[in-house]
Amino acid sequence: MDARLRRVNKEILDCKNDRASNIQVDLIDNSPFHLKGSFNGPEGTPYEGGHFEVDIVIPDSYPFQPVKMKFITKVYHPNISSASGAICLDILKDAWSPVLTLKSTLISLQSLLCSPEPNDPQDAEVAKHYMTSRSSFEETARYWTMIYAGGPGKEGLKSGAKSGSKDEVAMAGLEKAHVDQFEALGFDRSKVIDVLRRMNYRGANVAKINDDRVVEELLK
Amino acid sequence: MSSDYEYSDQEYYDEDDEQMFDEDGSASDMEIDAFPEDFKSKKGKQKSYEVPHEPLTQAQIEQFMAQDVENISGIFGVDVSIVDPLILILAKDRLIEKYMDNPTAVLVKAGLELPEKQTESSSRSRASQTGPRRSTRRQNSDQPRSGVSKIIERITPPVEDYGPFVCPICFDDTQTETMALACNHKFCSACWNAYITSKIRTEGEHWITCMAEDCSLVTPDKFIHFALKDDKATWERFQELLVRHFVSCNPNLKFCPYPSCTNAVSCPAASSKSVLTTIVPIVCCGASDSHKFCFGCTIDADHRPVICAVAKMWLQKCQDDSETANWIKSNTKECSKCQSTIEKNGGCNHMTCKKCKYEFCWVCMGPWSEHGTAWYSCNRYDDKSSIDARDAQSKSRASLERYLHYYNRWANHEQSAKLSVELYAKTEKKMEEMQITSELTWIEVQFMKKAVDEVFKCRMTLKWTYAMAYYLEKGNQKALFEDNQRYLENAVEELSELIESPFEPETIATLRQKVTDKTVYVQNRNEIMLEDTARGFQEGRWKWNVTVNGFDQAEEGEE
Repeated sequence: MDARLRRVNKEILDCKNDRASNIQVDLIDNSPFHLKGSFNGPEGTPYEGGHFEVDIVIPDSYPFQPVKMKFITKVYHPNISSASGAICLDILKDAWSPVLTLKSTLISLQSLLCSPEPNDPQDAEVAKHYMTSRSSFEETARYWTMIYAGGPGKEGLKSGAKSGSKDEVAMAGLEKAHVDQFEALGFDRSKVIDVLRRMNYRGANVAKINDDRVVEELLK
Repeated sequence: MSSDYEYSDQEYYDEDDEQMFDEDGSASDMEIDAFPEDFKSKKGKQKSYEVPHEPLTQAQIEQFMAQDVENISGIFGVDVSIVDPLILILAKDRLIEKYMDNPTAVLVKAGLELPEKQTESSSRSRASQTGPRRSTRRQNSDQPRSGVSKIIERITPPVEDYGPFVCPICFDDTQTETMALACNHKFCSACWNAYITSKIRTEGEHWITCMAEDCSLVTPDKFIHFALKDDKATWERFQELLVRHFVSCNPNLKFCPYPSCTNAVSCPAASSKSVLTTIVPIVCCGASDSHKFCFGCTIDADHRPVICAVAKMWLQKCQDDSETANWIKSNTKECSKCQSTIEKNGGCNHMTCKKCKYEFCWVCMGPWSEHGTAWYSCNRYDDKSSIDARDAQSKSRASLERYLHYYNRWANHEQSAKLSVELYAKTEKKMEEMQITSELTWIEVQFMKKAVDEVFKCRMTLKWTYAMAYYLEKGNQKALFEDNQRYLENAVEELSELIESPFEPETIATLRQKVTDKTVYVQNRNEIMLEDTARGFQEGRWKWNVTVNGFDQAEEGEE
């Protein structure tokens, strides 16, 4: 039997047998080379309680080349693209070793959620948010976990959020008062959210960015 | 220690250089048979505009590498196979220094030895090395022997006697053959083979570490050879990668930049950046006469006589300016107060500079305040203030004008050189026909080829002299430079005219005489141009009107 197939089959079996680690690997479209991995958000992080799914593609030269992984579930994290789910992690690139398995790689992803590396970001905007205000970042990450990963959310976070409708302001990690302020000037709400997010209008930064600059950006 | 080694290196190059020049001389002898004797008078003597260099083929580079490996193994007293990766990671001289200082650190960095923590647990044979770092220095004499013993251990696949072995990569327990480096991370040889092949083939990597996670031990040549078994192609590719890396690490070596050319050139004279202010290291890789390139910079053509820094500046300027300069000249004017360039894209002649708010008249460039109520029509052309404004305008135009003067000539020579080669292609056809129809011999119709080659060469020189002249400071030296340039230019123009003149079988003899004479003259002029400029660089004669990299201090000191 093909060494790659044998190895992947064994790895899938390993994950099935190991209930303790809570890592699951399932087939997508019946091929053992295109898989869906999933795990729970680590405890004590904004991702706690969420269930995260990862798209896994096994390349032809596996295990000598790294697996290709990206998040299916949207995640608010400095090293994960909030748009595409692409992951910035050394072992998925040059630090890959053939002894690493699907399970160990998924565990590494899990621990990536515990310890973001904002100095080597995949998503620069999220990283900026993380660096400016940790508490605001965590709140947003928790909100994303709740919306996308089925997390419990913070009690009394945003009243309307629980009902299933997404609160765009919270999604972008912004203050409702700020968005309202610029919306009152006659700008489109979604545009205000977009600009403020790009400018990292959060925490201590709010004092540094004067309103004129925001308006200038809005007018562009 | 290190300087000793380099010195012997130098000697090695020198010997070969002489040999090469002899070969070179005799080769060109044959080509120019049809020319007078004094043509080759300069043979043997090295010209000051030429830099000694040696073309190397792939095989020769490999020899070089082997020699370096041997040298280092001699100095370190370690086995040859251990040096291979060593030599590839660090510049030689520093390597020796560092090794003397702390052999363990170097070996760890080279991936030849495990960091001490791991050593303790995994390698039995290295028990003596587990002391604190300081003590290893005193144990220097032990180093060679332990190195050798380790090598043997590395390339001998340990035979697995006890229990069924399950390879942690392919999970196959039927494999009997396993291999491991000194770190004792065992994998089946099929996996090693696949891993190494994939590293070499798909990643183009010569630096192959152990497959285990976080293990930095590097697989030596012999191990790779052993693991690849009969896969000759991959082994050769690996060798090629090694050579590539070796060349890129060695400041004396450079690959020929021409497509699919595998030769390299050794040019120790141009190995440091600082000499590039005095020499122009144009080298030839030996594969073909046209494979000329500069050893000092990335311009892949002969840019003599001008040095790399100036040539680069000029090319950069041309790229930035040439396309737009003409447009600017014809479509814009400068504000007479702040000199910002202004394009008038409609409206009246009352201009207000966006930058300095100066108000002026577009037609006469004079201040608008003096125009009174004469809107839309300017009749104040001769007024003094307008004249002053136009003077200022023309001054800033002059610098652009000056640049265009040099640029046009620069570009013109390039264009002409190309055209003369095209023309020659036609002439050559005619010559061949003539060979068949008349009783002229092959050798008798070859003079054209030589002349065209010479024109091409001189036009390249001329082209770059314009770049140089643009940056030269005004003065006697520049005047002399431009004299030489003019003589060469005139001679080249005359020769190209001769080449283009129509020829018939009856007149060919006289034409041949004329062309040959002119070619010799042009060649001499080119020689003088190159010689004098090169000598000027060595004597520090040239002064620039801008700051040139590497010249900064010299310029300030003398001015």
